[in-house]
Amino acid sequence: MLYELLAATSKKADDKTQALKVAKAVKSGSTLKKKAKKIRTSVTFHRPRTLKKERNPKYPRISAPPRNKLDQYQILKYPLTTESAMKKIEDNNTLVFIVDIRADKKKIKAAVKKMYDIQSKKVNTLIRSVDGFSSPCFACYSHLASHSTVNDMGGISEQA
Amino acid sequence: MVRIKVHELRGKTRTELHNQLKDLKNELSLLRVAKVTGGAPNKLSKIKVVRLSIARVLTVISQKQKTALREVYKKKKHIPLDLRPKKTRAIRRRLTKHQESLKTERQKKKELYFPTRKYAIKA
Repeated sequence: MLYELLAATSKKADDKTQALKVAKAVKSGSTLKKKAKKIRTSVTFHRPRTLKKERNPKYPRISAPPRNKLDQYQILKYPLTTESAMKKIEDNNTLVFIVDIRADKKKIKAAVKKMYDIQSKKVNTLIRSVDGFSSPCFACYSHLASHSTVNDMGGISEQA
Repeated sequence: MVRIKVHELRGKTRTELHNQLKDLKNELSLLRVAKVTGGAPNKLSKIKVVRLSIARVLTVISQKQKTALREVYKKKKHIPLDLRPKKTRAIRRRLTKHQESLKTERQKKKELYFPTRKYAIKA
């Protein structure tokens, strides 16, 4: 009880001294004049730069990222076995594949490397809409194949 | 070919499932090549079997993943949107049971002091 009384009185004293201080400052006039008027050098007003915080979500919106649906099995559908394709295998050292249309040349290159362990020097692609197919597919040629891998793929060269 | 049984798949670990998936996909690609190069009919009929077993493995993988994620988020306050109950959009926007049951102090007192009485009439 006594302690509270003392605290109250000291608080009062503190407040009083603070009030006196503020009165003095106002009288001297320095507090009001402290902020000099900002000089504007341009006619236009640009929004001042404010703090931009990075995202820090409290929970991920999707629980897990979706799996990659365009993996190498989806990209390379099957090799083409027409006569002209066979010719390309023998003469130009190339393979011809039917490829998913959403794949780009880089992805095709990587897929061929993964599936058949071939380093392809170059990939050409074209989009074809063949009779009966509602979804067009790429055909792609990639160079630098060896005949052993062609055999691995299912004996295509034997067909020729 | 051994027919893949789902209850056997459920016992496997994630890595085992992924390896099996890879094998199946390899097999499928070989079968597809065989289809183009005029393969034997027993190979061609296998395509459907392999396709469906791939689907089974993928289903088991995703189901396992979902249940594991639900375990992780069970205790937490905020859960991802695809783990929340789906129901319908309108149902999700309704007041919760607790929110509907809330009453003002005034109403609570009224109900306490002036409940509806039931009378029976003596014949």
